[in-house]
Amino acid sequence: MLEINNLHVKLEDESREILKGLTLSVKPGEVHAIMGPNGSGKSTLSYVLSGREGYEVTEGSVTFKGEDLLALEPDQRAAKGVFLAFQYPIEIPGVATMQFLKVALNAQRKARGQKEMSAPDFMRHVKDRAARLNVSQDMLRRPVNVGFSGGEKKRAEILQMAVLEPSLCVLDETDSGLDIDALRVVAEGVNALRSPDRAMIVITHYQRLLDYIVPDKVHVLSDGKIVRTGGKELALELEEKGYADYVVKAA
Amino acid sequence: MSALLPRTAAEDSLGVSLPNRRSEEWKWTDLRRLVTAPYARKIVAARDADIDRLVASSPFASVKAKRIIIVNGVYDAKRSQLPRGEINAVVPLADDVIVGIGSKLEASGVSLVFDGNADLPVEIVHVATGAAQQAIGVRHTISVAANAAATVIETFVGEGDYLCNTVTEISLAEGARVDRIKAEVESPEATHLSHVIATLAATAMLRDFTLTSGAALNRQNGTLTFLGENADAQIAGTYLLKGRQHADTRLVVDHAVPHCTSRELFKCVMDDNARGIFQGKVIVRPDAQKTDGKQSSHALLLSEAAEFDAKPELEIYADDVVCGHGATAGDLNHDHMFYLKSRGIPEPDAKSLLIAAFAGEAFETIEHEGIRECLSAYAEGWLARR
Amino acid sequence: MADLETIELVKDIDVDKYKYGFETDIESELAPKGLSEDIVRYISAKKNEPQWMLDWRLEAFRVWQNMEEPTWAKVSYPKIDFQDLHYYAAPKSTPAPKSLDEVDPKLLETYAKLGIPLKEQEILAGVRKQGEKSELDGESGGEYASGKVAVDAVFDSVSVVTTFKDELKKHGVIFCSISEALREHPELVKQHLGSVVPQGDNFYAALNAAVFSDGSFVYVPPGVRCPMELSTYFRMNAKNTGQFERTLIIADKGSYVSYLEGCTAPTRDESQLHAAVVELIALEDAEIKYSTVQNWYPGDAEGKGGIYNFVTKRGDCRGAHSKISWTQVETGSAITWKYPSCILRGDHSRGEFYSIAISNGRQQVDSGTKMIHLGKNTSSRIISKGIAAGRSDNTYRGLVSAHRKALNARNFTQCDSLLIGDKCGAHTVPYIESKTSTAQFEHEATTSKISDDQMFYCMSRGLSEEEAVALIVNGFVRDVLQQLPMEFMAETQKLIGISLEGSVG
Ligand SMILES: Nc1ncnc2c1ncn2[C@@H]1O[C@H](COP(=O)(O)OP(=O)(O)O)[C@@H](O)[C@H]1O
Ligand SMILES: [Mg+2]
Repeated sequence: MLEINNLHVKLEDESREILKGLTLSVKPGEVHAIMGPNGSGKSTLSYVLSGREGYEVTEGSVTFKGEDLLALEPDQRAAKGVFLAFQYPIEIPGVATMQFLKVALNAQRKARGQKEMSAPDFMRHVKDRAARLNVSQDMLRRPVNVGFSGGEKKRAEILQMAVLEPSLCVLDETDSGLDIDALRVVAEGVNALRSPDRAMIVITHYQRLLDYIVPDKVHVLSDGKIVRTGGKELALELEEKGYADYVVKAA
Repeated sequence: MSALLPRTAAEDSLGVSLPNRRSEEWKWTDLRRLVTAPYARKIVAARDADIDRLVASSPFASVKAKRIIIVNGVYDAKRSQLPRGEINAVVPLADDVIVGIGSKLEASGVSLVFDGNADLPVEIVHVATGAAQQAIGVRHTISVAANAAATVIETFVGEGDYLCNTVTEISLAEGARVDRIKAEVESPEATHLSHVIATLAATAMLRDFTLTSGAALNRQNGTLTFLGENADAQIAGTYLLKGRQHADTRLVVDHAVPHCTSRELFKCVMDDNARGIFQGKVIVRPDAQKTDGKQSSHALLLSEAAEFDAKPELEIYADDVVCGHGATAGDLNHDHMFYLKSRGIPEPDAKSLLIAAFAGEAFETIEHEGIRECLSAYAEGWLARR
Repeated sequence: MADLETIELVKDIDVDKYKYGFETDIESELAPKGLSEDIVRYISAKKNEPQWMLDWRLEAFRVWQNMEEPTWAKVSYPKIDFQDLHYYAAPKSTPAPKSLDEVDPKLLETYAKLGIPLKEQEILAGVRKQGEKSELDGESGGEYASGKVAVDAVFDSVSVVTTFKDELKKHGVIFCSISEALREHPELVKQHLGSVVPQGDNFYAALNAAVFSDGSFVYVPPGVRCPMELSTYFRMNAKNTGQFERTLIIADKGSYVSYLEGCTAPTRDESQLHAAVVELIALEDAEIKYSTVQNWYPGDAEGKGGIYNFVTKRGDCRGAHSKISWTQVETGSAITWKYPSCILRGDHSRGEFYSIAISNGRQQVDSGTKMIHLGKNTSSRIISKGIAAGRSDNTYRGLVSAHRKALNARNFTQCDSLLIGDKCGAHTVPYIESKTSTAQFEHEATTSKISDDQMFYCMSRGLSEEEAVALIVNGFVRDVLQQLPMEFMAETQKLIGISLEGSVG
C-alpha cells in the first residue's frame, strides 16, 4: 500500500537534513509502530506523507497504492485515503467542528466520484462514532479544536479518522497527554478501525500505547533513518533499555 | 488649509468644502480627491418596480420585522409600516464633516421612540434609484426609554452612481438597550458617508454591528459617549470588500464617566485592490475610573494588491483602568490551510471556509439569530461571487 | 536576588532630584542671539568648513524659513522665539584640544562629576562605579566584557575631546567629532550627510542642518567588529543656548558597532532647546546598536524650565541582512519629541526599537518609532514601555508600514503603558499601513495601573510604597532594560527610581 524508498528530506529554508534515507513498506491490514527519540524525525515523516509545506524531498520516493504520493496536494492525498492524526492538532477559530467534518467528508467523496452524504445520514454517521469515542455534542458544536483540552484534541482527531474512514492512518503521538482511561478509549477507537484493507502507522515515544494497539511490526527511527525493525517484542525491549543505544552523537 | 484650495466640482455642487488628507482624521480617505462626481440634491421620482426590487434585495428581507422604506432620502408612506415621527431640529456635532454635509442636504428621515420592549425588529430600508449623481441626505433619531429595548436594522441598497449621506442619533435612557444592525450594501458605484452618534445613560446597553460591503467609497464615523455609570457598549463590524472599494471607519468611544465597558471588534476582508481602514479611538476622561475598554481590528488580505491601514488609539487620563487594543493584518494562516487540506478539503473551499469563519466572528456579537443567519448567507454569497 | 538589588538601588536615591543640575563656571564664546544667514555663515566659518558645507547649511536654512513648526504631537509649550537664542557656544579655553592633556581641567572635572571619566587609563565603565554589579549582568545586550568605552564629549556646541582614538584607528574605525570628520574625511561626510535625514525632512531637522555645531562621526570599515563601545556624552551648559548636534554613523559591509549616548544639562529656570539629528547607515550584513539614556533637565515640579528635546533619529538599513537596533531610556526633558526610526530597504534587513519613557512632574513625552518596510523579507520589532506619573503626559506614537513590494514583511509591536496616579495621561497612537497581503503585522497595546495585588504583596514584605513602585516598574520595563549595554543598566535602574520619586503618596 505504502512504499517509502530511500527518503531524504530537509527543511526548505535550511540545509540540514532531517530524514536521511528512510525506507519503509506497509501492506494493507498491517499496523506498523515507529518509535524513536525526540527529534529523530518522526513528525517530519508524518508531515511529508501528508504534504505539509516547508519540507523539501531531496532524494527518494513515496508511492501510495502505486501512485507517486509526493506529486499530490494535501487534499488529494486525503481523498486517496491518507489521514494524519496530528501530534499537535491545529485550532481553527470560527469553523464549527460539525461543519468542518461535513465539508471534509463530502469533498473527499466528491473527489472520489461518490455522491455527497445527505444531512441526516451524515448526522447519524458522526453521532454514532462520537458516542463511541466519548466526544460530546458540545465539542461538536465548538470550533475545530478551539478550547479543547489536550485529551479532547486527541479524541477529536480519532473521531475525524473514524468519520473519514481513510485507508492509511498515520497517528503521530496520539497517546501523549492522555491519561490511562482516555488512552483506552482512543485505542479502542483505533482498533475498531483495523481492517484487512486499512493500514496504520502508529508513531509513539512510549511502549504503553502498543499494549492496546498491538503492532505487526516495530521500527526504531533514529537520526532520520530506520535503524532497527522487529516484532512487538522490540517495543518492550525499548521500554526497558530506553533509546540510549540509538541516540547518535546527541549534542 | 482647505479653504485656500480652489473648490472642486463636487464641492461646488454639494455646497461644502471637503476635507483632504492633510486633515488627520481624513489622512487615509482624502474626500476632496476621492469624491469627484458633481453630486447634487435632487428631487427624484423612482419607479415602483425598481423600489420593490431593491427593497426585496435587502440581506434581511427574510427577517420578520416592521419596515420603513426611504426612497432617495424620502420617507415612503405607502410602503412603510411605521409612522415617521418628529425629528429634533437640533443636530449634534454640527462641525463634523458628515453632519455638515447632511445639513447642507437638508437631510430628513424618521424618529423612532421606544417606550417599552419592541416585539419585532424595525428595519429601515434605504433605497437609491432613478437619477444619476443625486446626493441623498438622511437623518434618523432613535431613542429608547428607561429599561426599554429595541432592535433596529438600517439597510442601504441602491443602483447607479449616487452619494448617500446619513446621520443616526441614538439616545439610550437608563437601562435602555438597543441592538442596531447596519448593512451598507450600496450600489458598487456609490459613495456612502455616515455618522452614528450615540449617548448612553447609566446601565444602558448598546450592541452595534455594521456590515460594510457596498459602495465604491465608504466612510463611516461613530461617536459614542458614556453619560452614566455601568453602561456597556459593543461595536462590531465586518468588511467584505473587493475590486477597488475603499472603506474607512472612524470610531470615537468617549468614557466620560466611571465604570463603563466598551468593546470593539472589526474583521476586515479585502480582496483585489480594495482598501480597508479602521481608526478607533478610546478616550478615558479624568475620573472615569474602572473603565474597561478594549478594541481589536483584524485584517485579512486576500490579494497582494489589497491594503489595510489602522490607527487604534488610546487617550487615557484615569489610572484605574484596563484598556487595550490589538490589531493584526496578514493573509490566511498557513497552518489552518494545511489542516483543512489534510482532511481532504480542496484549496478554494478551504479558503472560503476560513474567510467565512474570519468574517463571521463579528457576526457572533449579534444576538438575533435570524439576523446572524442572513449575514452568514450574505457572506457566503459574497465568497461565491469572488 | 534581583529584587533586593533593586531595593538597594532605590534606597540609594539621592535627595536632590536632579543630581546633574550643577553648572560649570567656564567662559564661553557665544554667537550673537538670533538666526539669520549671517549666523549660519558665522558657525560655518568658526568651524573652517568647506564651501559645499556652507552651501548645504544655507540651503537648509532657506527651507527652514518656509516651514512651520509641527503641531501634531501631543505636547504644548509656549511659542519658541527662535530669534532669542544663541546658536553657538563654545568653551573659550581650548579652541581645539589635540589631546586630553590640553583639555581644560574644568571640563574634565565636569565630566568626572557626571560619572564620565575622560582619562583613558581609568576603567571607563561608563556611568557605573567600579565593582558595582547589576542584576542584569550576564543577560545584557552589551557585547564588551572589558568595560572599555570610547567617549566623544560634547560640551554645548563643540566636541571637547574624543578618547581611545588611536586604539580605534588601529582597527580602521574612525571615531571623532563631526567637525574633525569634515576636515579629515570630507568625502565620507559629503557622501552620507543628509542621506538618511535630508535637510528639509522636518522643521527641527532643517533647523539642525542649518546650525548644527558639532556631534560625533563614526565609520566602521568592512568586516570590522568595533573593539569597544563608542559613546557620546552631551552636556548643555551655556544659558539661552540651543544645542544642535548631529551624529552620523556608517557601518560598512559586515561590520558591527554599538553606540551609546548620554545627555544632561544644568538646572535652569528657562527652557532650553535641543534639536539633534542622528543618521545611521548600515550596509550589507552590518549591524548598528544605538542606545540612549536621555536625562536632560526635566524642569521643576511646576513645569518651570527644562529642555525641549526635538530630535530626529533615523537609521537606514541600506544593505541586505543589515540590522539597526534603537534602545532608548527617556527620563529627562520637559518636552520630548522623538521617533527613532528604521528604513528597512535591504532584503532581509531588521529593525528594532526598545523604549522606556518615564514622565513625571509636568513632563510631556511624545515618542515612538517608524518602521518602514521596503525590502523583501524584512522584519521589525517594537517594544515600548511608557510610565506616566505626576501631572505628566506620555504618548507613544508609531508607524509600521509595508510597501507594496515589501514581500513577507513581519512586524511585532507591544506597547504598554503604566499610569501612576490619576493626574497623568498615557496615550497610544499607532499607525499601521499594510500594502501587501504577504506582510504579517501584529500589534498589541495595554494601559493599566500598577496592580493593587502587586503593591500589597511587596508592601507586605516590608517595602515602602515608593520602593514597591520602583521595584514593579523595573519589572515592567525589564524586556527593554535587557537590551541596554551592561554599562548603562545599573545607572538606568537607579534613574528609574529617581524619576519616579514623589509619584506616590
Ligand atoms: N518546521 C521545522 N522548523 C524547524 N525545525 C524543524 C521543523 N520540523 C522539524 N524540525 C527539526 O527536525 C528534527 C526532527 O523533528 P521532528 O520530526 O519533529 O522529530 P520527532 O517528531 O521525532 O520528535 C528536529 O531537530 C526538529 O527541530
Ligand atoms: Mg514529533
